[in-house]
Amino acid sequence: MSAPAWADTSAVVVDLGFGDAGKGVTVDLLCARRRYGAVVRANGGAQAAHNVVAPDGRHHTFSQFGAGTLAPDGPVPTHLSRLMVVDPLALAAEGAHLASLSVPDPFGLVTVDERALIATPWHQEANRIRERARGGGRHGSCGMGVGEAMAYALARPGDAPTAGDCRTPAVLRRKLHRLADHLDALRRELGDGSRTSPDVEDCVAAYGGFARRVRIVDESYLPGLLARAPVVFEGAQGVLLDEWHGFHPHTTWSTTTTANPLALLAEAGRPGDARRIGVVRAYTTRHGAGPFPTEDPSLAGLLPEPHNGTHPWQGAFRVGHLDLAAHRYALAATGGVDSLVVTHADSAAAAGGRLRRCTGYTDRAGRPLVPVPGDAPAPSHPLHPAPGPLDARADAHLRRQAALADALAAARPVLADGPTPPEEIADALGTPLEAVFSGPTRDDARITAPA
Amino acid sequence: MGSSHWSTDAYHARKAYNASAGRSDFGYTDDVLSSVPRTKWKVHEKLDPKGVAFRESRDSDEHPESLAISVLFDVTGSMGRVPRVLQTKLPALFGLLLRKGYVEHPQILFGGIGDATCDRAPLQIGQFESGNELEEDLNNILLEGGGGGQVTESYELAMYFMARHTAMDCLDKRGRKGYLFLIGDEKAYGKVKAREVREVIGDDLAEDIPFPQILAELRRRFEVYFIMPSGSSHFTNDAVRSFWDEQLGQNVIHLEDLGAVSETIAVTIGLSEEAIDLEEGLADLADAGSDAGGVVGRALAPLAGPRGSVVRSTGLPGGDASAPGTDRL
Repeated sequence: MSAPAWADTSAVVVDLGFGDAGKGVTVDLLCARRRYGAVVRANGGAQAAHNVVAPDGRHHTFSQFGAGTLAPDGPVPTHLSRLMVVDPLALAAEGAHLASLSVPDPFGLVTVDERALIATPWHQEANRIRERARGGGRHGSCGMGVGEAMAYALARPGDAPTAGDCRTPAVLRRKLHRLADHLDALRRELGDGSRTSPDVEDCVAAYGGFARRVRIVDESYLPGLLARAPVVFEGAQGVLLDEWHGFHPHTTWSTTTTANPLALLAEAGRPGDARRIGVVRAYTTRHGAGPFPTEDPSLAGLLPEPHNGTHPWQGAFRVGHLDLAAHRYALAATGGVDSLVVTHADSAAAAGGRLRRCTGYTDRAGRPLVPVPGDAPAPSHPLHPAPGPLDARADAHLRRQAALADALAAARPVLADGPTPPEEIADALGTPLEAVFSGPTRDDARITAPA
Repeated sequence: MGSSHWSTDAYHARKAYNASAGRSDFGYTDDVLSSVPRTKWKVHEKLDPKGVAFRESRDSDEHPESLAISVLFDVTGSMGRVPRVLQTKLPALFGLLLRKGYVEHPQILFGGIGDATCDRAPLQIGQFESGNELEEDLNNILLEGGGGGQVTESYELAMYFMARHTAMDCLDKRGRKGYLFLIGDEKAYGKVKAREVREVIGDDLAEDIPFPQILAELRRRFEVYFIMPSGSSHFTNDAVRSFWDEQLGQNVIHLEDLGAVSETIAVTIGLSEEAIDLEEGLADLADAGSDAGGVVGRALAPLAGPRGSVVRSTGLPGGDASAPGTDRL
């Protein structure tokens, strides 16, 4: 079988919900149909969990490796851009699993921008201490320390460890000692009784192995790559969890819209040179706390969810009716997409007449409630270019998003009966349909548009 | 929740990366040994002294008062596994110096010493680095093994390079010597040979330089120490021991556990900078969680003695000279 032809442009895959829509299978499908130079991560970190089942039965939960790693004509390399928070310890475990699936030399597939922040066990522990301190008011964090890494870097940009630091143990060691001090201070501040801490030398050694094994590259790498070949930007989480457009405080500290990939393309001198692909499920899900107007726990038993369960930090996996109103909000927040992929079309059918769709919301008084994204501050990244601390404008914006979260928590969905065929979902969202998944693998995809 | 899961994560990560790489920390050595015949072995280009005008330790905005510290170790066979131990231990040196505040702006250079009469890589010299790239220099040092079997290595050639081919702001601007630690277990040759200098470094030297002369020249620029590990082949060789004792006197450090080499160097510098006395240095090590205090203390006891001061006394000067602990010289 000959390899597929090169893709015409790069692709940006974005989830128009709360995550878990099927970005992994979408990326896998793209990489099976056309050739790409790499799958690029431009937001989030190791908390991503993109399940891909290959037609031969191999299953992997992609977390930091790009979901093109199981592509039929050979693995597509992964690039972790400067806008991603990299977790080298988690990457090791993931690489080992891929090796067990007969992917040759997984770490040889990965390049990492030296400027990318790394999330460490200290960030992870700080993250968990904060969530514990919130008691019943948890934010729904995954407990991986990604947001903590961002927050720490915003507060102390000079002390935040980066992927590049893994090459220079002396620098890394100094930064890790400071992180350990910071964790101790946080424990005192929050009155947390836990005492044990990660061992700096163990981690320095492990990060050294990471730096020797994966290629750590400078700022010229991605522009060079983009000049040679189109890539797939694999988004993490969903637009409804976006740091600025999500429903505060139940958001992730990450820009989950297409803004980051578009910024990287612009930096490389190729502004807008990509096809934006939105992904939705035929029904709506949410993992963890936060408003979810169409939630219907009775659906959970009807819609099997092999890869998402109750998460020890994030909490329960929640299921609800297709929320077209929320997806319209997400589309507006991300500035639109060029095509749509609908997943879990078979599950929707399996739920039979029980599944409905939400076309809008009403408030407590029964008046229509139409959420509209605000004029968000620019995507934040602590190390480049320095945005400064959250200013008054950002603060006001977050208050607005918190009010929106309150309104949505009290909102009632306007529901119409019956499952919604993928074509109708595309119509309702005003976006051409690209593919429909009625099963877990790329072979279960019905292609509705040319690649 | 204990700390075990972190250690486990780090351990598994390290194992996974190393297993996937199939190579040890000495990447360059392993590459060379596995792929190139011995006659073609050569120094990594970044460490090749040939044609180098100066290795420089300079002040910068970030490091306004640089202090040059160089650590050169024997990479020949008689040292056995010692270089590999050094590679894992020396990176900690930088952090130790900084954390304890012995030196504010250290710049460290690593190098390897072989035998110019028979080795392919008789001299390897990295750059003075402020933390960055240090590990890379160490990683690129070729551990040739070999050596001449005459209990002599080309230390004098390394000393010639350090005396003539270094430029240091600590010395030039502030009149403060740099530090040079030699780690090895053999004697130096009796003179710096012009022919070897020409071949290895590229200088057109008219005549050989006697060892005492190059050492004297070197000591005008560096505080020079010789660290002799007890785990090496010639530790008990009296000819070697007396050679260095004669040349460097109290600046010879006998180290029983090479695992404590970074701590030993750090405390030596701390003592010399008068940032601490030995007791404070050992207390610092204990604070930092190091269990090397005993080894370091025994190794450095000779240095902690009276140096230039007339009286060492636990009592007041003029007290009872016969009281215990009083040592009048």
